[in-house]
Amino acid sequence: MPARAARRRWSRAAWRRLALVLLWLGHGAWVLLGPDAGRTWTRTADTLALPAQGAARQWEGWRSRRRDDSRSLQDLQAENARLAGDLAALRLRDAQEAPRLAEAEEALRVLGLRKLIPLELSAARVLYSTRPAAFGGLILDQGRDHGLVEDQGVLAPEGIVGRIWSVGPTQAKVLPVDAPNASVAVMLIRSRATGVLQGLGASRAHIRYVSNQEVVQPGEAVLTSGLDRVFPRGLLVGHVVRVERGELELELTVQLAAPLDRVSTVLLLPSQPPLEVQQPFVQPEQPKPASRKKGTP
Amino acid sequence: MRPLPPTVLRQNLLCAAGLAAVLLTSPFPSLQAVVHAALVLALAPRIGAPLSGALWALAAGWAVELSLRLPPHLGGTAWADLTVVLIAGWTAARWPLDGLKDWLARLAALAVLHVLLLHGMVRLAAGPHPWGWSWLWTLLSLPFWGWGVWRLLHPGSTTGRR
Repeated sequence: MPARAARRRWSRAAWRRLALVLLWLGHGAWVLLGPDAGRTWTRTADTLALPAQGAARQWEGWRSRRRDDSRSLQDLQAENARLAGDLAALRLRDAQEAPRLAEAEEALRVLGLRKLIPLELSAARVLYSTRPAAFGGLILDQGRDHGLVEDQGVLAPEGIVGRIWSVGPTQAKVLPVDAPNASVAVMLIRSRATGVLQGLGASRAHIRYVSNQEVVQPGEAVLTSGLDRVFPRGLLVGHVVRVERGELELELTVQLAAPLDRVSTVLLLPSQPPLEVQQPFVQPEQPKPASRKKGTP
Repeated sequence: MRPLPPTVLRQNLLCAAGLAAVLLTSPFPSLQAVVHAALVLALAPRIGAPLSGALWALAAGWAVELSLRLPPHLGGTAWADLTVVLIAGWTAARWPLDGLKDWLARLAALAVLHVLLLHGMVRLAAGPHPWGWSWLWTLLSLPFWGWGVWRLLHPGSTTGRR
């Protein structure tokens, strides 16, 4: 026991060295901790905890991703089926609404044309078209029951369509402008030369009785002249696409403006309309003022 | 011939006088810095008795800091003094002195180390601070107070000239 006690007892030099170490470490700790020891320790603990916090974030992110990835395939298939059903329903509704939309757009255009022409116009629907057949035409949904008579002019927003050829009790047949037996009194918009339009089929026609002294260029608009008392003056018929000079007259080919194959709603002009209406269907092109060259007197 | 070390009583008395001088010169910071350096670097270190020198150095450091008019977080000066006095005692035991020249050279090296440690540890404790010019006065006046302390510690020895 005394030997063990002697081993445990430190020498005075060891105690002094211990005191020195404690003094030095104590002062160092006191200095390093600074005036706000709590904040220092908190900051130190935060710094030491940064790796653990980062690892915890990584771990939580991995678990979340795995949870998201492990959703059952059946749920996904059910969701896909539901979305496919919704898409099909929307497409069906869109297809059902498309004719109504087209008809509404056509009605709006017809209404605009009706406001543009200061005549008492009535609207009619095209039931079907027999144009591909010989002497075919357009069948309207109105007849004598709505007061329709023969030789009434028929219009579309794009241009003239034809005239009423025959009238039944509830239906009427329209002779389109491009029919071989159809003729319309027309005039050219620049030269004001008049002629007679005769159909060639396939939305084309040619103009007769225009003198070869007239100057006509492709692209020139062709309007009704009103001389046939079916259409008033100034309604658009089409545009010249080919000009050839004959012996006595010009051979003019016209592309008709109205889409005769697609027209679904038309306007009916009154019988024997006035020759001139106040607002023409197409504003004639204003001639450009002659410009003088510089230096010329 | 190597000078004999001073007696413990004589060195402690001189340290007490130095500590009193540190307190008394507190109105004059430049002079206080010189006295403080002399106490820590020259008077306090003793071969074989590091604890007493450390206590004197700590007392000198705390005395300087407690004499400040606007005390920041204290302890940096005392820690620097304690470190320097331990290094000085270790160097004295490791490389015994041969004369006044060695004494002054060692004091100069310790003074530079003391300045650097002092400002570094005060910066750790209280943050950035102006250095002032006390360190320059301390280094410039080192030959005078070094010679004086040499004569006080070793009154019977020569100046080391051969």
